[in-house]
Amino acid sequence: MKDYQLAWKNLWRNRRRTMITAASVFFAVFFALVMRSFQLGTYDHMFKNVIESYTGYLQIQDSAFADEPVIDNCFVLSDQQVSALEADKNIDKVIPRIESFALAASGNRTQGVIVMGIDPVLENEVSGIKDRLVKYRFTPEIVKEMSEDSVPDKIKKLLPLFENESYSSVGRLMADLDLKESDTAVILPLIRKKASFPNGYFGETSPGVLIGDKLSVYLHLNVGDTLVMVGQGYHASSAAAKYVVDGIVKLPTPDIDNKIVYLTVNSARLFYDTPGMVTSAVLDIKDNSEEAIAETKTRISSTLSSPLKVLVWQEMNEILVNQMEADSKSGLIMIGILYLVIAFGVFGTVLMMMSERKREFGMLISIGMQKRRLAKVVSIELILMGLLGLITGVIATIPFAFYFNTHPIRFTGQMARMYEDYGFEPVMPFMLPDTYYLWQTLVVLIMLVIAVFFCIRKIYRINVINALRA
Amino acid sequence: MNVLEINEVYKTYHDTEVAVTAVNGVTLSFERGEFAAVVGPSGSGKTTLLNLIGGLDQPTDGEIIVAGHRLSELRPSELIDFRMEHVGFVFQSYNLIPVLTASENIGFIMNLQHWPADKRKKRTDELLHSVGLADRGNSRPSQLSGGQQQRVAVARALATRPEFILADEPTANLDSKSTDTLLDIMEKLNRDEEMTFIFSTHDSRVVRRARRIITLEDGRVVSDERR
Ligand SMILES: Nc1ncnc2c1ncn2[C@@H]1O[C@H](COP(=O)(O)OP(=O)(O)OP(=O)(O)O)[C@@H](O)[C@H]1O
Ligand SMILES: [Mg+2]
Repeated sequence: MKDYQLAWKNLWRNRRRTMITAASVFFAVFFALVMRSFQLGTYDHMFKNVIESYTGYLQIQDSAFADEPVIDNCFVLSDQQVSALEADKNIDKVIPRIESFALAASGNRTQGVIVMGIDPVLENEVSGIKDRLVKYRFTPEIVKEMSEDSVPDKIKKLLPLFENESYSSVGRLMADLDLKESDTAVILPLIRKKASFPNGYFGETSPGVLIGDKLSVYLHLNVGDTLVMVGQGYHASSAAAKYVVDGIVKLPTPDIDNKIVYLTVNSARLFYDTPGMVTSAVLDIKDNSEEAIAETKTRISSTLSSPLKVLVWQEMNEILVNQMEADSKSGLIMIGILYLVIAFGVFGTVLMMMSERKREFGMLISIGMQKRRLAKVVSIELILMGLLGLITGVIATIPFAFYFNTHPIRFTGQMARMYEDYGFEPVMPFMLPDTYYLWQTLVVLIMLVIAVFFCIRKIYRINVINALRA
Repeated sequence: MNVLEINEVYKTYHDTEVAVTAVNGVTLSFERGEFAAVVGPSGSGKTTLLNLIGGLDQPTDGEIIVAGHRLSELRPSELIDFRMEHVGFVFQSYNLIPVLTASENIGFIMNLQHWPADKRKKRTDELLHSVGLADRGNSRPSQLSGGQQQRVAVARALATRPEFILADEPTANLDSKSTDTLLDIMEKLNRDEEMTFIFSTHDSRVVRRARRIITLEDGRVVSDERR
């Protein structure tokens, strides 16, 4: 009889207790991982959204603009500077932007907006603006019309959830409506016919604008309508102009989607009276890993002269990053409490098991089993029990993580509105298994080690005579 | 040849209100093949003496020598190995490992001593037969009666042929029929294997079958008769 065989038999002497203990470890691990997975996944998703649709990973700004983003803090970006930057090994393109504020109006509605002067061609490299043009929109009329049509019941049921929703890609549309590849032949053409949104894009010399989807809904603007903007130009000159809406884009971050107006850089320079200038230059990078970004920042910083400086996405989105960090901390505290509760439960069981078997331990030591060996057997029992819970817990979360990574939980109704009020997209994708799995596994292993250590100590302290009398 | 020598052994407990001297100057020696009963009123020190002999407890004074080993010279872990090699134990109850079968329980100490599997199996079968449980080798302790469990315990205790077997009131929980059966088996093994048995008891019918009767009173040996 080997020690592990004895341990295995002991493990099943009280089947129910073993199962309950392993199950409590399982649930702790499962819930902690699931919680963390969608927390981290949500952060990741939000960061990606804001980076890819708005700030990019790296920007050059005047340091004054970084502190106070007003048009007066813009700078001249020369062609030589651009080509010098583009010579860097990690920089693909340098993309000019003029970013400021204005008041936009249409009819009797007004809205403070972010004005972005962009290069209509180059900008696509960073924020893929062209791909964000709205292609389908489910207006209430269209939803009503389609519900009366011969679409499958499944879709009829889902459609009302997405009333007023706009789509810039078929992929997202298919995910929302739960469409399979096999459905596409019938349903997509129908959607194309009913819900296609006539949209456009501006040419380099166009005087028009692109506006966010939510902004267009708020201001009741459609493609071809006119938007009036009033603002403050360079050195307190006044800025005012009328623009035709060339297109409507859907941005993933609701807080930007409801207040963004894109102009061409040239229009923006005219509007703000800043010829040849930019407020920021987005660096379109090749490798966006954290190390590569940091290295690129250091390299570029050394070539820039004051007052210009390089900002990474965290610096440009400080509020969002801080918000996520605070949220992450509260999540970790929740997980900590969960583990603590489970740990007490498991320790209670271990304690009970030890005192129940005191007499048996006394007998075993009496007949010649070394304490070291007894401790080994009991340790194997605990480790098996703990690992059973830990491993099954980890394995059970993996399918969830993968499924909800590609099929994020999408809030609707009240919950969705709440999220959007905070400026977040109302989706919760899971983060794929990553280092956070290792951390949580480590936490459970540490708890296991403590339990094992506790039992070993107890065994070494057994007094045979007392134990036999127990 | 003596398998066990006890010289002027004292055991005093100081952890009580008044110090209790449970064993008070005992000197005894045992030869191979003895079948000895330790008797005396409750509290006379039987259990304490047996624990000292088995190296489970340390005397306050005096010396115990088993097969050339002075127990006072052994470190705690050496004492455990000493017990594994030289002493067989049978307790009043709860002798067996509940998750193992009768055979596995009998084989447990052979296992600790790293006997090869075939030799272990042969010895186990032989002992199962000797204690009249040839067909119960695969039973768990919970499936055996109290008397059968004690027989398995006796078989385990002598499996590796220790110097002697210590049994503290091995029949205390048994009815008279099981008591007789157990004693028959102990006597037979004492005869066939020349195994030394030292047991304590309250039961006069058990005492009657002993060939040596050591009577304790207040921790002292008041009589030591051989028959
Ligand atoms: N751990 C201990 N601490 C203090 N006193 C003890 C301890 N163990 C035994 N004693 C005392 O030593 C004396 C002898 O006890 P022991 O158990 O050896 O008697 P016994 O002859 O086996 O009695 P019984 O027939 O009731 O089993 C008793 O007075 C008992 O109270
Ligand atoms: Mg006693």
